[in-house]
Amino acid sequence: MKKILAIGFVALSTLSARAEYELVNLTVFGMDCAPCAHAIHVSMKGIQGVDTVDVDLNTGLVSIKLTPGNSAAMRQFNQAVEKNGFTHKDANVVVRGQLSGSAQAPFLDVIGTKDRYALTPLTAGTDISGLMGKTVLIDGVLPQSGKGKVSDTLRYKSVTEAR
Amino acid sequence: MKYLMVLACAVIATSKAFAADHGPVFSYATPVNSEREFSFDTGIFGRYGSQGTQLSTGSGFGYGVTPHITVNAFLPASFGSGDLPESRMSGTDWSAGASWRFLHSVTSVGKRIESTASLGLVVPGPQQDSGVLGSLHRAPGVAATLVTGLASRSQYVWVGGGYTCFAEVSNDRRPDIISWSAVYGYRPPSLRRGYDKWDYRGFAELTGEHTGAVRSGGIILPDSSSTTVWFGPSVLAIFKNIAIESGVQGPLFRDVSESVYGRERIRFAINFSYLKYSSHTSSH
Repeated sequence: MKKILAIGFVALSTLSARAEYELVNLTVFGMDCAPCAHAIHVSMKGIQGVDTVDVDLNTGLVSIKLTPGNSAAMRQFNQAVEKNGFTHKDANVVVRGQLSGSAQAPFLDVIGTKDRYALTPLTAGTDISGLMGKTVLIDGVLPQSGKGKVSDTLRYKSVTEAR
Repeated sequence: MKYLMVLACAVIATSKAFAADHGPVFSYATPVNSEREFSFDTGIFGRYGSQGTQLSTGSGFGYGVTPHITVNAFLPASFGSGDLPESRMSGTDWSAGASWRFLHSVTSVGKRIESTASLGLVVPGPQQDSGVLGSLHRAPGVAATLVTGLASRSQYVWVGGGYTCFAEVSNDRRPDIISWSAVYGYRPPSLRRGYDKWDYRGFAELTGEHTGAVRSGGIILPDSSSTTVWFGPSVLAIFKNIAIESGVQGPLFRDVSESVYGRERIRFAINFSYLKYSSHTSSH
């Protein structure tokens, strides 16, 4: 009985602390033909935790949906673009993580990866002080960064407490 | 280590072969393989002339060492005899080399401006050439190419040139080849579709070649140099990682001695490409 309780507790605590990318939308530059898109599709699908990948050649939009419990890191998505000889602009992400730091200088830790972002609001007037220390779901934008690098700032559109 | 291997391959190696990957079938183009991508090409290049038809077939292999460096090899075979001048797209030489996309400007959706240089080694294969070239002792050569251009969802433009020279052996020397190409490609709006559908585009290809004089037994054969310019359409069809390209060209200009060579009337090519992309990404 004790063991069952212990397992249940661990399972619940893992669930509540779950942190991961749920959706990543990248605008990729330089794809002109079907093999370009296919290469991106194959590379993205090779990342553990990626569920579906849609590539639109005319807009350059690559939409990646991830499975619950994944541990994919942002660097892997960037790498999948760069290894095929392309670049990408800003990335729109929906990510779950833990708020840390202070209300004036908040950070998001995507537990399970090494990804940590300084948070800045995309529009002024968003108060997230009540969410400090909690697991939150953020819809935001990762600005374009240099080759092989991931932005250290996440500009959030919305922050809600994760259920 | 990876770069040492590339350098080594570049020193010993480029392809003077035709139809690299998915692009125009007669002309030079800039694309190289993705990192860890294998490409396989096989095709037929034909030259029909007054002395018969000469067919060159062969298989090419490429591997992307980095997103901008590809090593490649080409193993040809030749059938028939047209007694035609040396050409970069035909013959019986084995070649291997490396291509480096040294300029790569990607600043908008669906568009790239890039330049690629190739360098490699050409070595005689087991088959003999035909005609006046068939009696020569053959030595290895070096081939270099340079090509620049633009690729986009709607239009493609590439211009490039190449130079192949051969060493001398037993007082024989095969002619140097200077080649150049300009190609324009277009994909109509109705064919700018999703990548899970067949992707078509058409090209207008202008190519030219100048072959130097043949040296046999230490003597330059008179009238053995040639200059030709060719023009014609080609079509490329791609589905995900499979590409089929074909085209035909007729002569715009010929300065070829018919006492030495046959009169070449038409060129045609068909190529099949298979691309194997890598799903590998490093873990975080």
